[in-house]
Amino acid sequence: MAIESLPQLDLIFSAMGDPTRRAILGRLALGEATVAELAQPFAFSQPTISRHLKVLERAGLIEGGRDAQRRPRRLRLEAMKQAADFIEPFRREWEQRFDNLANHLTTMKPGEE
Amino acid sequence: MPPAFQNATDCVIDRAAHTIRFVRDLDAPPRLVFDAWTKPEHISCWWDATGARLESCEMDVRPGGAFTFVSSGKPDHVFSGTYRTVEPPHRLVFDANGAEGRLILAANGEGTRMTVEIDCKTAELLDHYLEVGVTAGTSQTLANLETYLAGQEAAAA
Repeated sequence: MAIESLPQLDLIFSAMGDPTRRAILGRLALGEATVAELAQPFAFSQPTISRHLKVLERAGLIEGGRDAQRRPRRLRLEAMKQAADFIEPFRREWEQRFDNLANHLTTMKPGEE
Repeated sequence: MPPAFQNATDCVIDRAAHTIRFVRDLDAPPRLVFDAWTKPEHISCWWDATGARLESCEMDVRPGGAFTFVSSGKPDHVFSGTYRTVEPPHRLVFDANGAEGRLILAANGEGTRMTVEIDCKTAELLDHYLEVGVTAGTSQTLANLETYLAGQEAAAA
């Protein structure tokens, strides 16, 4: 991963550093959705969701769909992939370690000291 | 959407807090998980991502105490640092390689929700960590490929 691409990654990671925005990305992974549909599972108003959508758009993580009337949003897979590629090896190393831990825990006895 | 952590690790990079956070649900109570992190005979079995047992593991688990983990066959691959907070069975904080590691264990039904945070303190160190992670991950991938190819050759012979 080249250092030059870091400014875009800054935007991507800071956009993803929020639980509501990650939930929105999770919802959009299932298919495109309108602002009203995205706001529905949250106790937030549509303007609040719109503000989150702007942050995601600026990071290039989502874009407006073709239907101009409903303005559904959808994921931009290129940006998601850029972020995933950067994190992936690091995440994989730790996940492997935690898999080892989970396996090891099954060999430990509850009364063991 | 509720996050599903079963047998998967949730990984979040919080650039504002220059922290990498992993969350994982485990089928064992916090006390057992804490032991797995703080006893050399246990951590030796799982720390190395390759699955190899640690070559050596020294740990003085108390605030200010040092630890040194050496990976098998890689004497230069040493992970060492100092414990800062030791609060069994819920919290372990240590410094290593300029970052602060935080282990947080919360009871979750019969099991444990384990949160591991790597607080890099600066964005530069976070970037460096990710770069190193990329390098380590790449070499791990190559090692896996070698193992796989060796298995293929053995099968063909």
